Amino acid sequence: MFDCGMHMGYTDSRRYPDFSLISNTGDFDNALTCVVVTHFHLDHIGALPYFTEVCGYKGPIYMTYPTKALAPLMLEDYRKNMDRRGEDEQFTSDHITECMKKVIPVDLKQTVQVDKDLQIRAYYAGHVIGAAMFYAKVGDAAMVYTGDYNMTPDRHLGAAQIDRLQLDLVITESTYATTIRDSRYGREREFLKAVHTCIAAGGKVLIPTFALGRAQELCILLEDYWERMNLKVPIYFSAGLTIQANMYYKMLINWTSQKIKETYATRNAFDFKNVRNFDRSLINAPGPCVLFATPGMIVGGFSLEVFMQWAPSEMNLVTLPGYCVAGTIGHKLMSGKPTKIDLDKDTQIDVRCQIHQLSFSPHTDAKGIMDLVKFLSPKHAILVHGEKPKMATLKERIQSELGIPCYCPANNETVTVPSTHYVKADASETFIRSCLNPNFKFSTYSSVDKSYLDSKYSKAASGLQVSDERVAEGILVVEKGKKAKVIHQDELLLMLGDKKHEVQFAYCFPMHTERLQKTRTEELPSADTLLCDLDKCTLINQLSMKLSNELSDANILDLGEQLQVESFRVSICSKNSCPHRLSHSVHNDSESVFLCCHWSLRDEKLAWKIISIMKSSSPHTT
Amino acid sequence: MEQHVMNSIEQSLNNNQPLSSQTLASLRSLIINPTTSDSSLSSLLDALTRSLRLTRDSVFLHHCLKLLTDLSARRPHLSPFAVDLLRSDSLFSSASPRLVGESLSALLSLTSSQNDIDAARFVSLCLGPSVPVRLWLLKNAEKFAIRESVLLAVFLGFTRDPFPYVRKAAVDGLVKLCKNGDFNDRDVIEGCYCRAVELLRDAEDNVRSAAVRAVYDWGKLLVISSEERNKQDSSDAVFIQLCCMVRDMSMEVRLEAFEALGKIGLVSEDILLQTLFKKVLGINKDKIYKPIKVFEISASAAAGAFVHGLEDEFSEVRMSACYSLHTFTVFSSQFAGEALNLLMDMLNDDSKIVRLQALNTMHHMATCNHLKVEEIHMHSFLSTLFDSCSVIRSATRKILKLAKLMKLELFKLCIDGLLGNLETYPQDEVDVFSVLFHIGRNHGKFTVLMIEEVSTELEPAFGGKLGFDSTRVAAFLVLAISAPLSNESDVCGVPSRIFSYAVTWLGRISYALSDVMNRETLLAYLSKCSRSSTISLADFKIKEALPTVKGDMPSHLCSEVGSPVSMPLWQKGVETFDHHHQKLFLGKSGTHLEYGLRECDELRQSVNLVFRKVKDLWSLVQLGCTNEALKAIRACKEEVASFTTDSPGSAGAVAFTLQYLRVIKLLAAVWEHLMPTKKLNCYGVGKLELLLGKLDRRLREIRNKFIGLSKAEELQILELIVVACLLRLSKIEICCYDTAMKKLSSIISHVEILRKGGPIEPSHFIIEVKKLLNDIGSSSGGSTCKPLLFKKLIDSFSLHQFVLGGSPRHINAELEVPGNDSENPLPFIPGIPASIPLAITLYNVLSEHRLWLRISMGEESTQFVFLDLNLIRSSDEVREFTFVAPFYLTPKAISFALRVSIGIECLQENVHQVKAFGGPKRELAYLCPEEEIFLCKSTKW
Repeated sequence: MFDCGMHMGYTDSRRYPDFSLISNTGDFDNALTCVVVTHFHLDHIGALPYFTEVCGYKGPIYMTYPTKALAPLMLEDYRKNMDRRGEDEQFTSDHITECMKKVIPVDLKQTVQVDKDLQIRAYYAGHVIGAAMFYAKVGDAAMVYTGDYNMTPDRHLGAAQIDRLQLDLVITESTYATTIRDSRYGREREFLKAVHTCIAAGGKVLIPTFALGRAQELCILLEDYWERMNLKVPIYFSAGLTIQANMYYKMLINWTSQKIKETYATRNAFDFKNVRNFDRSLINAPGPCVLFATPGMIVGGFSLEVFMQWAPSEMNLVTLPGYCVAGTIGHKLMSGKPTKIDLDKDTQIDVRCQIHQLSFSPHTDAKGIMDLVKFLSPKHAILVHGEKPKMATLKERIQSELGIPCYCPANNETVTVPSTHYVKADASETFIRSCLNPNFKFSTYSSVDKSYLDSKYSKAASGLQVSDERVAEGILVVEKGKKAKVIHQDELLLMLGDKKHEVQFAYCFPMHTERLQKTRTEELPSADTLLCDLDKCTLINQLSMKLSNELSDANILDLGEQLQVESFRVSICSKNSCPHRLSHSVHNDSESVFLCCHWSLRDEKLAWKIISIMKSSSPHTT
Repeated sequence: MEQHVMNSIEQSLNNNQPLSSQTLASLRSLIINPTTSDSSLSSLLDALTRSLRLTRDSVFLHHCLKLLTDLSARRPHLSPFAVDLLRSDSLFSSASPRLVGESLSALLSLTSSQNDIDAARFVSLCLGPSVPVRLWLLKNAEKFAIRESVLLAVFLGFTRDPFPYVRKAAVDGLVKLCKNGDFNDRDVIEGCYCRAVELLRDAEDNVRSAAVRAVYDWGKLLVISSEERNKQDSSDAVFIQLCCMVRDMSMEVRLEAFEALGKIGLVSEDILLQTLFKKVLGINKDKIYKPIKVFEISASAAAGAFVHGLEDEFSEVRMSACYSLHTFTVFSSQFAGEALNLLMDMLNDDSKIVRLQALNTMHHMATCNHLKVEEIHMHSFLSTLFDSCSVIRSATRKILKLAKLMKLELFKLCIDGLLGNLETYPQDEVDVFSVLFHIGRNHGKFTVLMIEEVSTELEPAFGGKLGFDSTRVAAFLVLAISAPLSNESDVCGVPSRIFSYAVTWLGRISYALSDVMNRETLLAYLSKCSRSSTISLADFKIKEALPTVKGDMPSHLCSEVGSPVSMPLWQKGVETFDHHHQKLFLGKSGTHLEYGLRECDELRQSVNLVFRKVKDLWSLVQLGCTNEALKAIRACKEEVASFTTDSPGSAGAVAFTLQYLRVIKLLAAVWEHLMPTKKLNCYGVGKLELLLGKLDRRLREIRNKFIGLSKAEELQILELIVVACLLRLSKIEICCYDTAMKKLSSIISHVEILRKGGPIEPSHFIIEVKKLLNDIGSSSGGSTCKPLLFKKLIDSFSLHQFVLGGSPRHINAELEVPGNDSENPLPFIPGIPASIPLAITLYNVLSEHRLWLRISMGEESTQFVFLDLNLIRSSDEVREFTFVAPFYLTPKAISFALRVSIGIECLQENVHQVKAFGGPKRELAYLCPEEEIFLCKSTKW
């Protein structure tokens, strides 16, 4: 099972997946080999403690090291929020701890043999720290489940990175199935400009963020800018989760982008130089500052407290995350520019400060999805994690542009995809030996029939082609009751105990040799039908000279009584009724000799060419 | 010891037993020991030879090989014998491919020259089952003298190998082959290109990155071999093909792809624009390219290539993408505009190198006049002025010097930015002042408006005291004093007292402006401006005259001041960031830093920029896009013609540049005829011959009509002459082999003389030519024509950037017959010599030059008259005199016309010509256009 998330929009039992679909009896351990979690976002991990502790799944759980480290923080945070809202608790703090004990951490590109059939391997996915795409191989069938990923790097994370694999299936997220996003640089520039203008005018900047990911990214961005611009304005982190998260980030340097890894030798990028801890007394301290505070959508907590203090001054700036749930203050600020916000019946906040909306997103866009699918070129693709109509559009694109069958199943829908199955076969020694030696062939237009170009192969044909035929020489033999075996083509006859049959062509045709004949009749009147050896030789000799004039590149062998070019042989027919003689040519002409030709299939063209030359030359033969 | 070992060897050989491994080990110790005598070593060699005949045991052979390599490495004089032994069949015919491979590599390491292993053996070794040997052979294939066709087949075949490293070596081999080889067969090119494209989808990173190179190199050949009308399309197709690779998962592949992209010279604008947008543009929606009949690629594949590159995780890739952008910004201003949007964002990059490269690319855009800065860019752009890295700041300022700002607001933002820079980093003062001065000159009107606004700040605060300590005031003063020098007309309005304030800052200002004028000039300029109450254009004329009043002292005001044609954008254009160029340029300027030589620095820089352009254009010529190249050269010529030639010495430089451009133009025109697609018909032969003749003439002129060229400059001209010779030699139809060869060898020997005279290095091309000449000379006869060899040499030629260091003087002449035209002919009497009075002005002619008057009548009779310069007493620079030339062969006619011109004898040409009438012994280069003189039979005699 890939991921074990929850739906954030519901607060009742609908927020968890319907686990009964896996097993009616609740015997999950037999139904599932393992659970693989891609990253620590709640929509990918939220239901895990419930599944293990409440539903009773006891099998192995795989996730990357950072996910394992940071998941408890996320889950605990979520549990506390549920607690605060007075909802009934689905799992407890102990549940989380217990659940995490079952987790087996994996490293990037580490192949884990889960059981005798299943192999999994994690690849870097970007998105958030520790996010991974998982490659899974069951028997011969191979697939990749991407989880959430990002094809463009951001300030602290790299882009998704995967090998070119032979895959039957790719399951990819499609959050932005139709959007093509601009470069992130534009968004960064806007953000920096807004912040810089604000602090240059002496204002205070409030950045409400989620604890993990975005806060670190923005902080690196600001830190870098501060460094370059020699700014001395303090940056504060509100106490709590963010500081703890920073500590984790510092340890998980290996999972960040190339730049941060490189500078790590001299300085840890998460050791923010300009960042200080904030305490409440500083809220109303004079002078500009930048403050990171949780939670992100200003639903309460510290960010709300500071917001109430800072909102009334137009010098100050509040940045909002890209997405705010309806009903939160963040959402109110985003929709239009209110001057007053009613917090509850008694409190009203006077909002005069500037608002800047961030639109950073760690998901890849439509082009990124296309690029990844194109790079992996699987036999099938499935889209998940997106909006239905948009997924349908992307599905069409994948099918038409890349020619890969694509599906976007609804919930509870089953899709069956054919998978690869390999048959193991033995190989004969000769075959293996012949495979060791390269055996390539070239083909060109000139040697290829023109009709070949018109056929359906024409797409692949080009002027000069090279192919290595070493495997093509193999022949798969499956005998009853025995294991399949690959043998070399030369061995086949030996194995079958059969003889080689070859198709031979033969043709016998008359040739006029008037003058030759005439002289002979004078001297040897009895030798009408039987030519002496000498004459045969002279005739053959003449033919040979003729042919070597016409076919300059052919290797013509004069064997006395017969003439050989490749497999084509011609000799003078001495039989009266040659079986190869065509009926209409049988008119016993005393003034002609019969030439009998034999050739095999491969030299057919050449043979007819020679015959036509001989035929055309016959009147001139003397 | 020695004796003992030798004895044991003797013994075992006599018994027909192979040497034991113990004996071999002791042999080795003998070889290593430096005191072993030569005689015993040679007998040791004998023993080895004998025992090699006895056994074929691979272990023994292996030992033997090792011994032989050791021996020849330690005793060079014995090495030929060892090599002979190695060459002998006993090692090569061994059954073990590994041993064969090792002996081959031993051979290679021992002999420096090319090795003769025959093709059949090479191929059979390659086809053998041992993969390491195969790999080694593929990697070292070029060290063996094997025919290209064989190599091509082998490499192409092994791109199918199941082992990725063999595939990579094969693809690398194809790339090398493509660079060195000479392929005209379209089928071969298409086949290799297709195979390379197929390998772009290989499972191995290494193979893919090698395939990217192969696609680029074979793609280039594909473009060259395409027909004229398909060239653009093929080039586009190759470009798109490479664009597909910028999203590869491997960093090396991406890097390789961007490097290749930057090198493609010819891409249509639609495709270029597409690389800047991830969305497929309407115009490219259904565009399909078919570079090869059976192969198609859609334009949409190029979408966002550069966007992705600039967003890449690896700074190397980002930098490479930035760098590649800069080659394309030259072609299209629209592309440059769009690319600027992306580049501006790169200024926020976290890597310093990437930021710097982005700035350099912008600078390049500015020099091409394609930099259009908009308001939304300003924040990030000006923020680089506050960057903590001084290199970045100075790069930004360099761009500002060239910037053309359309709006006053932008101008103000820039000035504010610069002032801010000055405030934060006082150490930048010199450079900031200089930038302010340039910016002020480029935007005269804005400057005046700005100064008006801040004039209160500039006024003495109270008690008539200037704020001496305020750098800000100084900055404004620098800005203010630049206004009158602006090229915009009608810029008056800077109050004259400002100039007198500026005098008080003279030291600091003149230090900052030392690249423009020296202290005396500045003082003179300031005092002049402060005296006159209004400044008008009329004043400039006086001002211009200022330096000349002082007599011989050279003017330090740059030549551009006050001139109607000014090119502010070219001023600093030569500072290029291409490392190679930078080095070249620094090396040059170092010797010319003497202050006195700087008078026409700016002109020289513009001229050098033209040379650089020409060098860039050469790739177009090589691609076969001759028409485009010719068009561009024509544009260059127009540009050079518009340069002012007022300042002393500039006329020579401009004339030289024009001449150079003429040469290059002809060279490009001739080059076209060498393209494989161009079939030479009889009409073509005539045309080519004509072109070559013209080229020779132009080259003769450039070589003989200029004096004061440095050795490096001369060398570059000689190189062009060599190319012209080779061009002639490579076309068997038109070549007069002996003459051309004689000329070639004389040029090469001249190069030798130049090289001996000073520390200059001839280019690789010249060295190759020299080698070839030696080869031909040593081979018997020498009369055999080898056009293919020459052709190959020519292909290896690439135009270097010409760098004009000094100011060459142009030898030319003016010729006139006063009062003569068809209405007023000179009188003559048929059969009696006529005298023709000629008013001649000679420039820069030295007394050792030999000048001739060429007087011709119609086509048939030509007469030469020697001009004896010793008879004319005057300075070298300008000689003005009247010369009465006799014309002897007056015809029996009522009237006739003569054509007269002055030629200089080409003293450096060694090929003598036999001319009648006692004319010049060598070829002439003409100094002036032919003058027509009319004569009429005298009626009063």
